[in-house]
Amino acid sequence: MSQHPAQDPSDGVEITVGYKALPGQQDRFEKRTVEPKTGDPLPWDANTQFQVVGTDVARVDGLAKASGRAKYAYDITFPGMLHGALLRAPIAKGKLKALSLDEASAMPGIAAVVALKEVGNKVRFVGDAIAAIAGVSQHAVRDALEKVRAEYEAEEHNVDYNVAEGAPLLDANGQVEDAWPEAKEIEEALGKAAVTHTGTYRTEVQTHSSLETHGGVAKWNGQDLDFWMSTQATFGVRGELARALQGRGIKVGTVTIHAEFVGGGFGSKFGAGIEGLACALLAHAAQKPVKLMLDRFEEHTTTGNRPGALMQARAGVDKDGKLVAWDWRSFGHAGFSGQGGSVAVPNYYAIATKPRREHKDLAIDTDPPRPMRAPGHPQGWFGVELFLDELAAKAGIDPLAFRLQNDREQIRQDQWRFGAAEFGWEKARAHQNAADARWRRGVGLASARWGQLGNQGRPAHGATCRVHQDGSVEIRSGSQDIGVGLKTVMAVLTAEELGAPLAAVNAIAGHTSDPSGPAAGGSMVTPSLAPAIRQAAYRAKLQLREMVAKHLGVPVGDVDCKNGKIGTGTAQLPWAEACKLIGPNPIDVRGERLANFEKPFHATQCGAQFAEVEVDTWTGIVHVTRMFGVQDCGLVIAKKQAESQVLGAMIQGVSYALHEQRIMDKRSGRMLNGDFLRYKITGPKDLPELRCHMHSIANGHDSVGAAGLGEPPSVASAAAIANAVFHALGAPVRHLPITPDKVLAALASKKA
Amino acid sequence: MTVPPDRGVSRRSFLKGSAVVGIATTGLDAAAGAVRPTRPASFGPGQHEIALLVNGSEQKVKVETRTTLLDALRDGLDLTGAKKICDRGSCGGCTVLMDGVAVNACLTLAMDAVGSKLTTVESLTDKDAVHPLVQNFVQCDAMQCGFCTPGMVMSSLACLQKRGKPTVEQMKHDLSGNLCRCGTYGRVMEAIERTAQAGGK
Repeated sequence: MSQHPAQDPSDGVEITVGYKALPGQQDRFEKRTVEPKTGDPLPWDANTQFQVVGTDVARVDGLAKASGRAKYAYDITFPGMLHGALLRAPIAKGKLKALSLDEASAMPGIAAVVALKEVGNKVRFVGDAIAAIAGVSQHAVRDALEKVRAEYEAEEHNVDYNVAEGAPLLDANGQVEDAWPEAKEIEEALGKAAVTHTGTYRTEVQTHSSLETHGGVAKWNGQDLDFWMSTQATFGVRGELARALQGRGIKVGTVTIHAEFVGGGFGSKFGAGIEGLACALLAHAAQKPVKLMLDRFEEHTTTGNRPGALMQARAGVDKDGKLVAWDWRSFGHAGFSGQGGSVAVPNYYAIATKPRREHKDLAIDTDPPRPMRAPGHPQGWFGVELFLDELAAKAGIDPLAFRLQNDREQIRQDQWRFGAAEFGWEKARAHQNAADARWRRGVGLASARWGQLGNQGRPAHGATCRVHQDGSVEIRSGSQDIGVGLKTVMAVLTAEELGAPLAAVNAIAGHTSDPSGPAAGGSMVTPSLAPAIRQAAYRAKLQLREMVAKHLGVPVGDVDCKNGKIGTGTAQLPWAEACKLIGPNPIDVRGERLANFEKPFHATQCGAQFAEVEVDTWTGIVHVTRMFGVQDCGLVIAKKQAESQVLGAMIQGVSYALHEQRIMDKRSGRMLNGDFLRYKITGPKDLPELRCHMHSIANGHDSVGAAGLGEPPSVASAAAIANAVFHALGAPVRHLPITPDKVLAALASKKA
Repeated sequence: MTVPPDRGVSRRSFLKGSAVVGIATTGLDAAAGAVRPTRPASFGPGQHEIALLVNGSEQKVKVETRTTLLDALRDGLDLTGAKKICDRGSCGGCTVLMDGVAVNACLTLAMDAVGSKLTTVESLTDKDAVHPLVQNFVQCDAMQCGFCTPGMVMSSLACLQKRGKPTVEQMKHDLSGNLCRCGTYGRVMEAIERTAQAGGK
């Protein structure tokens, strides 16, 4: 496809969408007619020959990170900066009865003290914020916190989901005992099925455990506030803070959020939170910059979590192994708000009857859930995929054959076959463990899905591109790069469109003084911003082309920008020479995120993962030995960074499958393992041999075709591991994490 | 495990009666030639000025007896590469070398670091010179959010200095005190391997 735009593309242009065959599979290409919007470049498609996109480029801020020079919110300092901290409630439920801050205020080195609750306010969980203090050092603040006099009126609390209001009754084996609500159609379908199965599945509460805790540095200049915050939603927290400060009677001019580097978020950092507000209030009261970062216990207990779930399925297959009946209900583990515990389940396993999906959230007196990487998905996929393996085993069908028979997505059909060959599924699945073997091996697989083709924004998200006379290029977005590689994506797209050397492009993200962009959630940032970034670079290119055409005396329509040269035929200027024509004021243009085309190649993203485990039947310890993942994310822009996301999601999957659970003390309502000693996450020694394949697809939904990637690879991993454990043991462990006690219990149940 | 000489009581050893987590290295003599500062004779409450030998130069910093080396480096000297992540020696985010040995700066009292040669991640990158290990972290994309990365780099450096060409199991062992939430372990090990193959320490 030509790089040059049609003057009036309203008649539409034909593009090729789809993908080149995965090894051993077939090409899947289709033609589409799309109508590029005015001012947009012609869309990239399956035939586009890229120079930079999809290649192995180094992370553009990689050196800043590896050298320790990257400044996260936590690293920002100013002369005279104060340190802040919060006083947290020690009770799980009740009221604040008395609060005296006088003694704390009088402590040496204390500059500001702010009450966050008034006497009479409710306390909703252990860790609810009561007051905030700022002083000259962390020690001074810690000493002063001990001098706050707070009294509470405690009420009876509950932090146990098993006895939460609305919790179902369980039998001795942990299976839901309550009868299914009546559903004639499903009962009939189950009645006709050749093989039926039912099972109850459970997952525990997982904390996000971002390594950089929540918080930041607030600095006022008159009525204007600059806030360096560890956030994954720069624009969201800007609005939240401005409103909250105004609500407290503070006159607010400009609020600017800075989040150039963010030490993880995984869904927990969409809000400024009470810590953000407290930091801004303390800085306002002290008229000095204040740094307030939560400690590790606060991070585990007050900044959200992935809710646990109790799930029950029943289903049936016909004599050929086709699903003919399906029923599902789930109970989410919410906090005091009683919300946010929802569970997602796959919708592509073809089912004859109309599937039912009932869900209820259970409230207890803890910190409520927040979105966490693919909210609801890892728990639901674990339940469904393990259930399907159990059903397939009952029906005498191999799990792969079962998926191929029942999965209606063509893309994943190719991925199942390719992945199975790559992983060596057939041979590994055929492996027989000796009856008395201490170490038992097993393999499992699971699917992944996500649906993100970009938030088109209201009003549209944007990006700014500046080309300077020294040849340097700025590409700017106010969205944040929380580690996924947004800055690298910005630089790659800009270099590709401009034909400029990648090293000339500086990608700047994370300051709300730059154009608006989405929060880093729902795998939204890259697909939302990619077309805006490309359009900004394209508009800059049009201006540069005109200058070069005039300078060289050639028709502007002939001028091309490629491989660091601008011109036509023998009349070419190197990039740096061409940019000298610009003059002291840079080319300075903005790209917008326009609406998607109507018919993408595919509306969702597909993935498949395979896992092998080795189980020590003496100790019950599970070790994941190897995993393979294949993942579609539309166009792969920065290959290494895309792979890093997939590999990282698989490691998080190991962690979720085997290790992570919040343990609550019923009596105190307090988390017992709110640190990294007792809250175990996957470490280097747990690392399996990991491989992934990025399945690049020309999706044709906008001028770039990038789809979401953050969430989808984290959907399948724990489910694939649970299935591998089922294969190894011959009995399922239906409760995550798969800890040694549960493995030994499963082995014992098999013998019994 | 080798305990470097003249270290006094660390916060960890004080609390748990065990020696500082560390591994012996073949020694990184960043401070060759510099005179080692000595510890003050007595400590009282309040702030004291001490001199730390950091990355080859003596630097004055005011600390209390309870101030950790990590807080002294970060708040006192604005060396913010080392991170406070767990504050309990369970994540390795604050790893620095003390007389060539990898230690958790959050478990080391600043005053106990007086007289030791301290090496932080910042020393591996100068304007023109980037340590091959740091380069390989970038080339292998051994990071995502990057918050654990400085600690990973320092533990990797200690691993290379100790072992030359470490095996996969040795790398896993030497990195086992470092946590990464994004899941970059595999690529961190690739970076160590590449550096080892090129003979870089």
